This record gives sequence, C-alpha cells and structure tokens, in this order.
Amino acid sequence: MIANLRVVRTTFELDVKQQAVGLFMIFGVLIQPLLIAIMAIYMLVARDPSRGIYIVVGSGMTGLWTSLLFRGTFNINAERFMGTLEGIVASPSSLAAVVIGKTLASVTLSLLSMIFSYGLASLIFRFPLNVAQPVPFLLSLLVMVFAFISFELLISPLMAVNLSRSGWANALEYPMYILGGFLFPILLLPGWSNPLSYLLAPYWAARVLHATSSGVATPGDILLSWGDDAHPGRRVHCGILQTFRDRATPRPCARYSELDVGRVLR
Amino acid sequence: MKRLTNSVRIFLGGAVLSYKALFRWFRLEPYLATKIVAPLNQILFFTLLGSFATGPDTASFYAIGNAIQLTAMSGIYGVTMSVGGERSEGTLIDLFGSPANRLLTFLGRALVHIVDGMLGVIIGLAWAGLLLGVDYSQADLLALAFTIFITTVSTSGLGLLMGCLSLVTVNVMFINNTIYFLLLVFSGANVPLANFPVWVQQAAHLLPLTRGIQAARLIISGSSFAQVAPLLAGEALIGLLYVFVGYMLFGWFEITAKRRGTLEAY
Repeated sequence: MIANLRVVRTTFELDVKQQAVGLFMIFGVLIQPLLIAIMAIYMLVARDPSRGIYIVVGSGMTGLWTSLLFRGTFNINAERFMGTLEGIVASPSSLAAVVIGKTLASVTLSLLSMIFSYGLASLIFRFPLNVAQPVPFLLSLLVMVFAFISFELLISPLMAVNLSRSGWANALEYPMYILGGFLFPILLLPGWSNPLSYLLAPYWAARVLHATSSGVATPGDILLSWGDDAHPGRRVHCGILQTFRDRATPRPCARYSELDVGRVLR
Repeated sequence: MKRLTNSVRIFLGGAVLSYKALFRWFRLEPYLATKIVAPLNQILFFTLLGSFATGPDTASFYAIGNAIQLTAMSGIYGVTMSVGGERSEGTLIDLFGSPANRLLTFLGRALVHIVDGMLGVIIGLAWAGLLLGVDYSQADLLALAFTIFITTVSTSGLGLLMGCLSLVTVNVMFINNTIYFLLLVFSGANVPLANFPVWVQQAAHLLPLTRGIQAARLIISGSSFAQVAPLLAGEALIGLLYVFVGYMLFGWFEITAKRRGTLEAY
C-alpha cells in the first residue's frame, strides 16, 4: 500500500512537470476552454448575463474532459512509443498506481481550465460571478477528481490494447460535452439518451457543480451526485487495467511483441 | 507540350503519393471516427448549444455553419501535415533536391485534401439534413457545390501557410488545433459576426471560411448564385492571398535552410 502510494506520488510529480510545459496541455487546459468560453459567452450570455457562472463551470469541464480523454488515450501509448512500457509493466509496482499518478497530474492541471475561464469571464467580460454554495462546490470538485481518475483508468487500457482505437479519441470529445450536460441541460436531448448520461460520472460532476455554483443544490442532490461520481465501478476500471497488464505480459508479449507495437501495426 | 505533361504528372503524382506516404496510418476505422462520427458530434454539440441559447428555430444556422467549417479538418490538419510531414519523415531533402517545379509541388500537397474536405462538408450537410432538419429544397445545389469548392480551396490556402510554419517548428498539432478553434469561434460558424466587437468582425473577414459560410447559408435559404458571387469572390481572394504568402514562405524557407544547412534542424 505504502509502496503503491509512493509510486503514485512519484508519477504524479514527474507527470505534472512534464505536462505543465507540454503544448498539448497548454492547448487543452488554456486555449481550447477559453475559446469555448468566449464562444459560449457570445452565444449564451448575450441574452442572460446570469449564465456567466454556468459558462465558467461548463467550459472548465470541457477542458477537463478533453485533457483527460487525450491524456487517457496516450497514457499507456506514450510509454509504448517511448519504449518505457516494458519497464513499467515488468516492475513490481502496480500499473494502476502509475496510471493513477498520471491521471492525478492531468486532473490537477486540468482544474486550471476552470480558473482560467473564471478569470476570463470576470476580468475581461466583467460578469458578476459568485459561487452560491462554495463549500459544497469545492467538495464536489474533490469528488469529481476521483470520478475522473476512475474514468481515465477505464480509457487508458482500452485505448492501449488496440492503437487504431486511439483515433476514436477525436470522436469521443463532443459526446461527453453533450451527454454530460456541460454547457446545456440534457433535457434538450431526446429522452432515450438520458439513461446514458446517468451512467457517466462526468454528468453527475457537471450537475452538482452547476447546481452548487448557482445555489439550487439541495443536500439530497449533492449526495446523489457524489454517490454516482464515486461509485464502486472504479474497481471494475482497475480490473480492466489489471487485465491489460496480465494479457500484455509474458506469453502474448513474446509471441506478438504486443507490448511494444500494438496490434494495429502488426 | 512535354513540359506541361511533366508538370501535370508532378502535380497529380506528387499529390497522390504524398497523401499515401504521409497518411499511411489512415485506415478505415480511424477515418470513420475522424471523418464521419467526429463531424457529426461537432455539428450536434454546437447546434444544441445554439438552440439552447437562441431557440430551436435557429438550429439550421448552427448546423450549416459547422458543416461548412468541417472543411478545416482536411484544409488545416491534412494540408499542414502534408507539408510539415516532408520534414518529419525525412523527405524534405529529396524534395528540395529535385528539379521539380516548386509551385506545383507546393500546391499538390493540398489537392487530395481539397477533395477530402469537400467530401467532409457534404457528409456534414447530409447529417444536418437527416438529423437536424435542415431544408435544402430552396437551395441551388450547383451553387452550393461551387461554394463548398471555393471555401475548401481557400481554407486549404491557410493550411498551406500553416504547413510552411510547421517546417520551422515541431509543434504542428498545437498550431493546427489553435487555428481550427479560432476558425470555429471567429468564422461565424457559431456566433453571428454582428455579436462581436467591430475590430473582431474586421479580423474575421481576413479568415477563410467566413464568407463561404455566409454564402452557403444564403444559398440554402434560397438566394441565387449571382447574389452570393461577391462573397465567393472575396473568399477566393482570401484563399489566394494565403497561398501566395505560404508559397513565398516555402521559397524563403528553402533558400534559408539550404544556405544555413538547417534543412532538417528544428
């Protein structure tokens, strides 16, 4: 346990340093959310200035999701391209601990997108921005971190098993914006799609953050969202990661060299 | 006559070969994800966001704007990677060492992407018609096809310019992503230009796509080709301007890199 936590901490520190100076992270955390926020401000706030905080939270969530999706896609694949995956898988430390450390780094940096969006809306566009229920809002942010880690633990191995799947990262970006209700309520969507939203942790995260920032969250709503955010499904996600590690090691690795090149290149 | 035949051969052969060589990873599954599913998601997200902002009656405004904007996917990402890929794949030395006409070589890098970009827009417009109820019954389809062609060519002009920039930087995707999102915000695809400050409106008219999107919306709402001709002429001029600047940069880069011996140095 202690050893795994040390691996998480070390990976986190290293990854924060690496990502913080990477242009991909700068784009995902700063530029894209700000451009989406500018677009949303001109689309939404023109009619109703009270939507300012809604846009800050929503565009911040888009930055968070985009960063996590692409980082999740390439978490394991990046190690594969750099030739370090063999070392990580062969080491006695848990692959899940490494991915958790990387994900924690992504989430920490991605939270900055919400701060940048806040700064844009309040300093440049001068919207009155108040988080109506600050304590539940901050606690919800913390719960959301766990939810997103859980989600990334699912994405990373799925994308790593088959390299051609990484092309789907582009196609998965907007569906979460839509089904997660980041910038508009899912009530706009057809009723049959709502259960899909309920299955997604980012939906519950967006829901509770929007509700607590605008002051309409009841204790029941908050607890329901937290419960769904931190659902036990993350154990399943860890199981998938473990399966990847088990499948990608000794025998298949020796037979196909899967660990290094991936099936699509074979 | 032989010289002309040779030029055509270099133009067409170079275009096809560069596409096949540099996009060899582009198989059916990533193509479907990137060119069929991702565009649909983009159109759906912004149309829903727009409908949330301004009411369901305005859905076609956003659907058409985003369908036309999809041409940037090929025009910016594809063309930039075609030019920049010569350097990263190590073929730039051979290219600059050959006696082939530079202008034809340069323009040839955009050819396949123009065809691909037009196809992408047609798919986008088909999604808009099928799922979002955009009505094409009033549209002059020939004029619409010509508009798509001109807009795709002009966007590829910007792609060629960006491709030249990618010859002097390793951060090609950062440039591409930023340009793509700037076009999404400021081309009028999602925010009516009149909503922006005057200086932003003026800057937006220096971008490709801006007039093309306006023209497409007018044609679909029943305007004639003659009515949109000035917009298309402006769009074509903007595209030519970008091609000209890009070609100048391409030439300058070749001369400078050869003189300094930095053809493959970043």
